[in-house]
Amino acid sequence: MSPVQGQPLLELDRVSRAYGEEVVVYALREVSLAIRAGDFMAIIGPSGSGKSTMLGLLGVLDLPSDGVIRIDGVDVGGLDDAGRSKMRGESIGFVFQQFHLIPHLSAQGNVETALLYRNLSRKERTDRARAALERVGLGARTDHRPVQMSGGEQQRVAIARAIVTDPLLVLADEPTGALDTTNAAKVMEIFESLRSPERAIVMVTHDLAVADHAERRVSMLDGRIVADDIRLPA
Amino acid sequence: MSRYRELLGVAFAGLAARKSRTLLIMLGPTLGVAAIIAAVGLTDSAKGDLKLKLRELGTDLIVAEASSSFGTDTPKMPTDAVPRALSVPTVDRVAAVSELSGVVVTPYAEAIGVYETVPIPVLAADAQLPSVLDVTMLSGRWLNDFDQQELVRSAVIGEGLADEIDVLAGESRSIDVGGKAYTVVGILEQVELDPSLNNAVFITFGSAEADFNDEDQEPNKLYVRADPGTERDTSSILPIAITLGGSTEVAAKIPTDLLEAQSETDTTLQFIVAGMGLLALVVGAVGIANVMSISVIQRSSEIGIRRALGHSRSTVGLQFLLEALGVGILGGLLGVVVGLAAMWVGTNLADWVFVLQPWLPWAGLLGAIIVSMLAGIVPALKAARLEPLETLRLG
Ligand SMILES: Nc1ncnc2c1ncn2[C@@H]1O[C@H](COP(=O)(O)OP(=O)(O)O)[C@@H](O)[C@H]1O
Ligand SMILES: [Mg+2]
Repeated sequence: MSPVQGQPLLELDRVSRAYGEEVVVYALREVSLAIRAGDFMAIIGPSGSGKSTMLGLLGVLDLPSDGVIRIDGVDVGGLDDAGRSKMRGESIGFVFQQFHLIPHLSAQGNVETALLYRNLSRKERTDRARAALERVGLGARTDHRPVQMSGGEQQRVAIARAIVTDPLLVLADEPTGALDTTNAAKVMEIFESLRSPERAIVMVTHDLAVADHAERRVSMLDGRIVADDIRLPA
Repeated sequence: MSRYRELLGVAFAGLAARKSRTLLIMLGPTLGVAAIIAAVGLTDSAKGDLKLKLRELGTDLIVAEASSSFGTDTPKMPTDAVPRALSVPTVDRVAAVSELSGVVVTPYAEAIGVYETVPIPVLAADAQLPSVLDVTMLSGRWLNDFDQQELVRSAVIGEGLADEIDVLAGESRSIDVGGKAYTVVGILEQVELDPSLNNAVFITFGSAEADFNDEDQEPNKLYVRADPGTERDTSSILPIAITLGGSTEVAAKIPTDLLEAQSETDTTLQFIVAGMGLLALVVGAVGIANVMSISVIQRSSEIGIRRALGHSRSTVGLQFLLEALGVGILGGLLGVVVGLAAMWVGTNLADWVFVLQPWLPWAGLLGAIIVSMLAGIVPALKAARLEPLETLRLG
């Protein structure tokens, strides 16, 4: 899947997300947003502004109550669970604040998990996972399990897992939130290195130091986008 | 196809990562299958042993015995009981035996007291007895016409008695029968169908008449071989043919009936033990369902991340179903091994032949697989239904 020139990789068209039945709370209200290949973007905003809701929708882990989400031109709302799962697996890579590595698997096993069920040979899975781990500087730690690694290393394994499928969109949720400054800097350095004209990187954060790395900053408040700035590199 | 192979690998890794939990929930299917295999297998072995025995003994032997009628101390048949029995067309061969009352055997002079209180039966027997009973001589020979003569005192003793008084095969030995010294000419092999013969001393009717005044030579027991398949009819006709309306009463029975009845009672026990095995399987299944449901909650983060990585609901559900299947297969296999081991020990202890119906291990394994798959349905559905957003705790 390569993005068609000019067409957004991911597009929200007047998307709303409401919770509750009797008392309806709008976490997102008629939000429109286009994410293009090459974007390096931060979504910021105070607590309760709708960042998590947005992340869930961008990652196809959730569906809008109203409006349309298109990924690479495909209306996500028209897909069944299998179709949406396939979409996540092929087009989106996730990085979470809590790493979410599978504890009983090695670094290699965790990364390979992203390559399962897609008709790859074992060798291909092994090679690609190893290459991804080398890319985040953990080529020597492939056999280690999460408990044997520091938080920074675990997050790097998670990044390797997110990029091993070569996704169009990398979604990161407070990727440095559980790390000390040294490890946070290292992780941000890796994110910088992942930038490519074919790929969009979206980080949800309330950490302005993280947001400062981003080229585009989307600010949210009360379920709406209140600012969308492009900062040209200094 | 590769999807299922990969799923198997994932499920196996999940089981291997929690070895003690896996072993614990394997216990149900293991015990269940082991109990079922041991129960069914051991009763089959017992039955097989019985069948083997019945085939060896033949079911066509009938024992006709004079039973107590009023006014007679030792019930006896008419003297011509043997020809009368032979007059029944379906009767093939007949051997007669007469128990001599009041004749005391003393193998050792010192032990006379013992053998007075627990007497050794002395039987007058005819030449056909071993052939009708289909037993062989452990050593020596059976009584013959020569032994019938007066002053020739030959005796054959049962295998049990020979053991008891330490008569070695081929040893020339004489024993005191009612004050007369009899030469032991042979040892009769154990008679499965009439254990009472095992401890007896056999002499000829001629000796009985000469030494113990048993002039009438009235037998009290006939061993009859009927034509194959007629034993039931023959045994009902036989008492009438022997007594011919006389005052004695004769009861005929087929000794192998007792063995067959024995195998029926074993079937009841088989149902009980196999039922307990089934119960263990069901209880084990409930255990699997419970433990795996808890495991799904504990592993909700793993499930959430798998969903985020593109594994569909059905794939995640299948993963947990396959874990349950793995427990069933491993538990079932272990159960088969334990069950067969129990059978091996049991048949060895009971000295039975090892009879294993080839479908039994497969049935046990299949039972364990089906039951654990059923047990896996609830946790698998729970895993499939988990909402990834609720387990991933976004910031
Ligand atoms: N599952 C939910 N059920 C009900 N309300 C929710 C749920 N998730 C979020 N909300 C509400 O939606 C709003 C936006 O929440 P969220 O997207 O978590 O914001 P943020 O991540 O920026 O803190 C909040 O008012 C929150 O209470
Ligand atoms: Mg939030």
